[in-house]
Amino acid sequence: MLKKTLITLAVTAGLSVNAQAAQISEEVIQEAFHPYANSLPKADMVKPGMTINAGNVDSVKEYLDPAMYMFIKNGDYEMKVGETTSFDLHKSYVDATRKYSGDVKLGSKPGEISGSVAGRPFPQEPSLDDPRAGEKLAWNYKFGYNWGDSSAIYPFYWKYRDMNSGKVERTVKMNFHFLNFTHRTQQEPFPEITPNPSNLFRGIYVQVLEPFDVKDTQLLIQRFDDDLKRDNAYLYLGFQRRVRRLSSGQTTDAFLGSDVMIEDFEGYNGRISDMNWTYKGTKYILSPMYNHNEMVLDTETHKDDDGYQVIKFAGRGGCFPEITWQLRKTYVVESSPVDPNHPISKREHYMDAQTFIIPRNITYDRKGDMWKSWTIGQAHPDHHLPINKGTGVAIDDSFSMVDIQANHCTTGQFKGIVDPELTPPSKMTVQNLRASGR
Amino acid sequence: MTKKITTLNKVAIGVATAIAMSYGPTVSAGEAQWSGYVENATYFRDKKGLSKFRNTAQAEFYKPVESDGWSNVSINGVLRATYDGVYDLNDGEFGKNAGENYLGENWHDNNTASSSAVLNPGVAFPCENDPALCNNLDGYMDQDENDAKFSDFNDELDFIRELYITADKQLANGDIFNVTFGKQQVVWGKTDLFRVLDVVNPVDYSRHNIYDELEDIRIPQWMLTAEWRMGANNIFDDQNLQFIWNIDKFRPHNLGTCGQSYKMVDAGCFFASSIQGGGPYIINDVEEYDWNLKNTQFGVKWEGVYGDATFSLNALHYRQQLPSIHALGAPGDNFGLFDIHFPRVTLLGGAIDYYSMNMDATWRLEVAYTEGEEQPRDTNGYKETDMLRYVIGFDKNKIIPSLGTRSAFLISAQLFGEHILDHEVDMPNDEDNWIATGLFKGFYMNNRLSPQIIVAHDFAAKATAIAPSISFTPDNHWMFNLALNVKTGGDETFPWSVTGGDAGGGQTEPLARFLNGPIGVANQEDEIQFTVRYSF
Repeated sequence: MLKKTLITLAVTAGLSVNAQAAQISEEVIQEAFHPYANSLPKADMVKPGMTINAGNVDSVKEYLDPAMYMFIKNGDYEMKVGETTSFDLHKSYVDATRKYSGDVKLGSKPGEISGSVAGRPFPQEPSLDDPRAGEKLAWNYKFGYNWGDSSAIYPFYWKYRDMNSGKVERTVKMNFHFLNFTHRTQQEPFPEITPNPSNLFRGIYVQVLEPFDVKDTQLLIQRFDDDLKRDNAYLYLGFQRRVRRLSSGQTTDAFLGSDVMIEDFEGYNGRISDMNWTYKGTKYILSPMYNHNEMVLDTETHKDDDGYQVIKFAGRGGCFPEITWQLRKTYVVESSPVDPNHPISKREHYMDAQTFIIPRNITYDRKGDMWKSWTIGQAHPDHHLPINKGTGVAIDDSFSMVDIQANHCTTGQFKGIVDPELTPPSKMTVQNLRASGR
Repeated sequence: MTKKITTLNKVAIGVATAIAMSYGPTVSAGEAQWSGYVENATYFRDKKGLSKFRNTAQAEFYKPVESDGWSNVSINGVLRATYDGVYDLNDGEFGKNAGENYLGENWHDNNTASSSAVLNPGVAFPCENDPALCNNLDGYMDQDENDAKFSDFNDELDFIRELYITADKQLANGDIFNVTFGKQQVVWGKTDLFRVLDVVNPVDYSRHNIYDELEDIRIPQWMLTAEWRMGANNIFDDQNLQFIWNIDKFRPHNLGTCGQSYKMVDAGCFFASSIQGGGPYIINDVEEYDWNLKNTQFGVKWEGVYGDATFSLNALHYRQQLPSIHALGAPGDNFGLFDIHFPRVTLLGGAIDYYSMNMDATWRLEVAYTEGEEQPRDTNGYKETDMLRYVIGFDKNKIIPSLGTRSAFLISAQLFGEHILDHEVDMPNDEDNWIATGLFKGFYMNNRLSPQIIVAHDFAAKATAIAPSISFTPDNHWMFNLALNVKTGGDETFPWSVTGGDAGGGQTEPLARFLNGPIGVANQEDEIQFTVRYSF
């Protein structure tokens, strides 16, 4: 009897140990989430307060990605440098990383992962010796804290600009909403919203407010936890007054005619399995990260009762955000499409090591020529709207997609709000599209 | 038109005026948001000249309203004013003075007249030219020329296209209960161009046959709708249950009065004709359905998302919106004279769409089974028969780099089928018929330049419509659209027993208009169309 009890206890203890996540060292956590806790990156030629222009850009070339170097060298843009600041992610996301990441494993094929419940899947420093390091970084981006568990861009202004003349051809005013169904850490419920019979990972809902010809257009993208499954996408057209199902495979389609592909959203908006991912190294790069309230603001585009104003755009054609850039630890990752008919040959992603957002992308066409340059400015949540303070969300605050070959750009000006009230799960339903239409 | 303004419409005037004056009856949570457009549509028809010079101003508003216990409360409205100058600028072809040499002159040659015609050509705008005929058609095709010129200004107050209040109630379990009341459009189904389940509102085909967006030609109705949005459960990703109660006085489709530039299957002139030799009018009377509880219409829809499929199940008890002609007598006794009825119909149907990942395409299926509809026939005017209608649709977005744009093209195809369950040989409509449609639409210059082509083919009528167009949107306000609308076919004949029939292949009048359908009967309506719109 005693023997039986001992065996039972031993088996139970073994099961308990197996059920716990493997431990991630605190050193790994600190390096991943607080890279600037002990020292800020320094470069002899890059000083906060300086302006980089065509005259001095060569002296700081190693801290710029190739596209930004080209723009500044050509006189298209002058870059103001700010202090490096820590964009601390929310404690709940860091804690979830401690709790779950030890059990995360890649599957045998790209797009397969197991054990990722919440938090950063692979907090360890990437290694050039690891052939799947790029893929792990892509998963860190996909399951990154990004907009937190839910947020809204409320509203969001997209301007289509002729880069030569500076003429604004179209201004589209929209609302964007983001909601994570799984991998939640901060807003209740976590780690997931139930019921969720199709195992949705994330919903993106877009509602067009202006101009009249596209008013009431709505788009709903439902992304599955299973990366190998394509998104479900629904479109409501105001003049048809009904929800259309979209074939979602054409992720390189120009969204509403802009210079932004659906696949370009947020830096990359597709399946991990659609790309081959390669880690190219770690660099210190000037990134568009700043305190919104200290920037030059656009007094014309948006006015509201909060007194909030959006980021101003300047430079050639008005295609560049008038912000400060800071030196930051950056993972350089290359993605090349699996599909040989994809219109691009590769993207160079400049992933911010602390937040795993992608503030800079360069897209190359099939011939290998530079085609598009993506910038998404990140505002520190503690220097933005009061409601965003303490959320730990690096606020997407300004974007620019420059079509270098067409001399055309699309710019985006945000009012980002981290407020679960704005994006309940009912927002991410087909019924919401129909009900929010007219 | 002589109808009295209903109480509901009086309320509509009051609310619309209050909104327009920006002092709503309740405490506002925000300013009314206005948008809209002014538009000129100028169309030229082959051999006819100007066929449309329509000037439209439309204003839309949305006014949020504060409420305790309810959320998303708002008053919504669409106001429209239309003036079609074609009746002033081309009054030889269209309007009260337009005349035809024989019935159907606008879509076939004089073969019927030269052989055995027994019907006079239709009277243009009977209420301008023939009071007795106007009296017979009272309540249906009784517009005068001003009603056609200013089609939104009538006793039904159609200038108030929509006016409704909507509100959500958040339930304790997270579900949402919604109530919407007012003059509104309710859209069911998943079909473009044709209607299978989208039958809640009647349609004004006199505006531009079947070719305008349904949003602009549905005739809004006073309705109360209630929805229970249940969201996800352990089986479905989304669910909604909707009840509709159409409390408006019944209105049929507007097929166009004789003398108008667009008359669906030329019914307007057929109904405005009479027996040759001073005989009586074809139409003796139009049955009117007074407003009472028994005459209201109601329906229910359950819809949801299950995996990769979205679906709906629909039921509607309504009134047939196309006219049914009831013969007054047998041969030798009032034969050839008819009353127009709009019988009660019960519809059961459903729709489903499915995204195929392997094909990267969406399939749509929509089915409606109706009980109580009436189909025209030769020897006895009509027969009640069950009907089955269905649409299979295919949609795909495809980037085609060789066509010079990095925006995806929209490729869409549909096959619309109709089956008459109790078919008779003397019905002009085939027991089974199909219409196929195709759409190919592209986008250039950041979607500001958009060419498209729509093709529709009616198999029984052997008739085809081809409509290529190109629209240019230079900025946020202006839009220019240039289009062609070309049709072929309309040559099918059908014997009419009044004239003894025709074993040699039948004749065109009057029943072949049903066989040739809206595309075939419009075979002489080839047009070039230019539209300019300024929106705000």
